[in-house]
Amino acid sequence: MSVELYFFQPLGTNSGRVFQALLEKGVDFVEHELSGRDFDHLQPEYLALNPKGQVPILVHDGAVLTEGMLINEYIDECFDGPPLRPEDPRARWTMRGWSRWAENDLGRCLMMINWNRVVPSFVGERSPKEMKHFIETRVPDPDRRRAWLSAFEQTTPPERLAESRRRVTAGAQRVEAHLREHRFVAGETFSLADIDLLNFCSFVIDWMPELVSAKDVPAWAEWRARMNERPAVKAMRARTNFDVPRPGRVPEAQDGPDNDAPAGQAG
Amino acid sequence: MRKVYHWEPNGANAQLLITLAEKGLAYESIFLDVLAGENHQPALTALNPGGELPVLVDNGHVFTQASYICEYLEEAYPKNPLMPVDAHGRWVVRGWLKYVDDYYASAMSDLAWEAGRAKVDPAALTAGAQSAPTPERQQVWREHRDPFPSDRLDMARDYVARGVQKLDDALENAPWLAGSTFGLADIALYAWTGYLPWAAPGAVTSNIAEWLERVGARDSVQLALQSGRADNAFAIAAPGPEHTRWG
Repeated sequence: MSVELYFFQPLGTNSGRVFQALLEKGVDFVEHELSGRDFDHLQPEYLALNPKGQVPILVHDGAVLTEGMLINEYIDECFDGPPLRPEDPRARWTMRGWSRWAENDLGRCLMMINWNRVVPSFVGERSPKEMKHFIETRVPDPDRRRAWLSAFEQTTPPERLAESRRRVTAGAQRVEAHLREHRFVAGETFSLADIDLLNFCSFVIDWMPELVSAKDVPAWAEWRARMNERPAVKAMRARTNFDVPRPGRVPEAQDGPDNDAPAGQAG
Repeated sequence: MRKVYHWEPNGANAQLLITLAEKGLAYESIFLDVLAGENHQPALTALNPGGELPVLVDNGHVFTQASYICEYLEEAYPKNPLMPVDAHGRWVVRGWLKYVDDYYASAMSDLAWEAGRAKVDPAALTAGAQSAPTPERQQVWREHRDPFPSDRLDMARDYVARGVQKLDDALENAPWLAGSTFGLADIALYAWTGYLPWAAPGAVTSNIAEWLERVGARDSVQLALQSGRADNAFAIAAPGPEHTRWG
């Protein structure tokens, strides 16, 4: 049996959710760490494995699996180890709804905001023209290509960014209300939805205090402190670069739509 | 008692109604006229704050989001299985559902809306935008009052074309999307592809036309279609799911 994970960094968004699921489950796997800054994921070697150029993928006995949320259900179904989904069908429905929301709703709004902050500096040593050409010719998915371009050229409509900020603030209160009532996202047991809320959203407390600060969301902050005590999360944090991108510095390019990842994501 | 709040049996409504019929699960049908804003009324928003349909109430618990409701039904009521037993086959099925939820549903919904826009009273859209219960849904309704910008339609056509290609490829060598047995992937794709002959007739391939016929001939689909009021549920559209927000 062989299990291989192609990922950006261990903690944060789609790479982080799968990395954590493998650690929580106790699966031995071969690591293929990609450099987003070098656009490893848009090189022919990687595109041969995943033509969409999205990260992560899991390669299990030669079969390539994409889509982090679905990889994680697969991991839970395939391997021995502690269950990462509740037994009760209704709790599973809760889990899936929150996983999707963490990724597609709150997570996407966070990404839009952060992505617009950091992408212009991704140009690094390239000329802006080269960078634009690279995006236009190398990002396979049209929707993501558009997101890259609008962030790079700073053409995302201000009202869309404002709406994302509004949704982040409202969404944080939804999380807070839920975690006041439940020890874990899907109820009484740790599940994939906790992994997703941690990896997609919980960095907001450190990163966007003007939108959500720890004092606004005490139950979320308490839950996050518990998550950070988990051995899997400790191991991931120890290996993750938390450098905050600042003007004049080049952040890691892995924090883009191809990882669904905002920059400098922390747990 | 099991209750289902739904509109015409198209899109997500069809996805749930067909799944219930395949499972042989009885329910009380509560039809809400979306174009009259009935899903924006407190009877529904008390259950689902966004007012989106369909909504299932099962054993006193409320369930929303059709793809996850269908997986719930599959797990809670294992009789007449609609997913493969092996993990890889299940990953394939979930991939189809996620593709529908992420891209295909909103894109097909836009094309269906353009095809049927002229039939809808503009006053109903203004009223719907006002009665929508959340800022998100108000915005969706407002966007449907005027013709869509060309880049939105181009994107919708592109995503529908990609979905059609995926569907056609999958049906080239297998009767159903998960292989040899009918299941949740076929139901989810049928629920939206049912619009294709009306919304983008040129895109219907022979593989897809035959599969639409195979699915449409099933008792479950016939039963689900009876729960609507329109002559053809796939020739009537309403403001649909929001597009994925990338940037």
